[in-house]
Amino acid sequence: MPDPAISVDHLHKTFTSRSGFWRRKAKTTTAIKDISFTVERGELFGLLGPNGAGKTTTVKILATILLPTSGGATILGHDVVRETQAVRERIGFTFGGARGLYTRLSAVDNLLYFAELYGLAPAVTRRRIDELLALVGLDDRRDDRVETYSSGMQQRLHLARALLHDPELIYLDEPTVGIDPVGARELRKTVRELARRGKTILLTTHYMAEAEELCDRIAIIKEGDIVALDSPASLKKRIPGDSLVEIEVRAADLALLQAALKDLRAKCQTLAGDDGNKKLSVRTRQPEAVMQAMAPFIASQQVRNLEVRNQTLEDVYISIIQGKKP
Amino acid sequence: MIARALRLVRQQVRVQFQVRLFNLYSFALYFIQPAIFSLVGMLLSRAAGNPRPDLIYTVIGSGVLGMWSGLVFSSLYDIRADRRDGTLELIVASPTSLGTVEAIRTMANVLTGLVSLLAAFIIAVLVFDYSFAGVNLAAVLVSLLVLLAGLWSLGVFLANFTVWSRLSGSYVEFLEIPVALVCGFMYPIRILPEWMQAVSTIFPIRWALEALDAALTGSHDLARLAECWGLGLLLSFLFWGVTRLLEGRVHDRIRVTGEMRSI
Repeated sequence: MPDPAISVDHLHKTFTSRSGFWRRKAKTTTAIKDISFTVERGELFGLLGPNGAGKTTTVKILATILLPTSGGATILGHDVVRETQAVRERIGFTFGGARGLYTRLSAVDNLLYFAELYGLAPAVTRRRIDELLALVGLDDRRDDRVETYSSGMQQRLHLARALLHDPELIYLDEPTVGIDPVGARELRKTVRELARRGKTILLTTHYMAEAEELCDRIAIIKEGDIVALDSPASLKKRIPGDSLVEIEVRAADLALLQAALKDLRAKCQTLAGDDGNKKLSVRTRQPEAVMQAMAPFIASQQVRNLEVRNQTLEDVYISIIQGKKP
Repeated sequence: MIARALRLVRQQVRVQFQVRLFNLYSFALYFIQPAIFSLVGMLLSRAAGNPRPDLIYTVIGSGVLGMWSGLVFSSLYDIRADRRDGTLELIVASPTSLGTVEAIRTMANVLTGLVSLLAAFIIAVLVFDYSFAGVNLAAVLVSLLVLLAGLWSLGVFLANFTVWSRLSGSYVEFLEIPVALVCGFMYPIRILPEWMQAVSTIFPIRWALEALDAALTGSHDLARLAECWGLGLLLSFLFWGVTRLLEGRVHDRIRVTGEMRSI
């Protein structure tokens, strides 16, 4: 049986910063706390979490950019600390945002430069550049300076750069950040195409819909710790109630509404609404029963707005990140 | 293997020229700055009662000073720009070592610095009507090669030190003028106090300059020239060796601290 694409074993990373002139003070920050997970070959694996949760640090260790403080990881059977060269030859990665390109150079010149760093033969380089610029839709701007590109175009060029040496494993760290919806959709299409071609992909993102749409499995990371790891469908099942009913009422009517819902054993959460209204978020397996209980309030026009929808990954994510165990 | 290495050098030099060197800032660095040094040198020379500026220490010295300043600036700027642009991480995580990239870049920077020296020679001939008849041309060329080797070895040493942390580049900046003063770019080193002369012996460019001085003034004292060349090359090799020894530690350190991006 082949090694998994990624095997993370009790990975731990701290950063120490020092301040002061005469009396140097050290402050240690823990970025990752003893995390373990595996990603199978051909899997599209998502790493979700708020800012500062440790997603990028994890990716950087797996990309051999950072060294772990303790624990370890193997990439396609190669250790990220002892076999950096073998790992580097087999992975491609992008980090979100505009940084990471030579903006005074054209797309082609950027790719030529990085192709040389990866030791590609000239014939392979030319073919790969043509293929990849077509794949990411930049072939008509190939000779323009990158500084004239939009954020979305730069992001797509990042992806082309990451794919130059045809890596088996690709890390995409917030690839759609700062991209307009059309550009983001195009990029997701490209990611799906890469997954279809058998690439293993580790994706970090803030966008739940993106993760839900693309990922086979998702790990939710919070304060350096993995707090949930499963398929999107299984994660959604962790929250009681399949549906979410969101009811907006005047603040004065909130207590009456809560009393009416009390017998339904639904999980209610009160949120602030607009214009002095309150929003009640009700998780339930019986949305029709909630609607029946709401009927008198709707008739008397006490309900300002009402929405019934299925639970999304975002609901699960918020529930987990806000500390409520699903 | 050799073909790959040559392609890497060509590509790296090409990018270095396109990204870092073909711009107004570099023009100022390699032409305007040496011109100012040269002008100040001439004024000082005139004030000292010498109507014609000294070829070696005023005209050529300013060219060498331009090379040195350009090297210090570009060694610092390369790493800082990579930190700022997020490209340092990409280079570190590529199969080509950061040390190799630094070595090639520094070579491009040193070779670019030759324009300062060339400009100084042209000014010497066209403006001050100097003649290079009678110089030991072969010795000048060898001395130039030793000078390039010395500058390159110091450049990779400083670049590696700049990688160490976000702040370490600031300390490199402090070295620019002291090294120029100690190595006697614009005056004969023998006029310096003995302790400063002793300090200067650790810098390969000091020996290259002494050889260049002798060769330009027509010296055929091969024993002395060979001594200067040998010491210049030996010290260049030592600086390069120390850089290679420290390189692994520096690169591991930034992978521990994560100081590969500017804040």
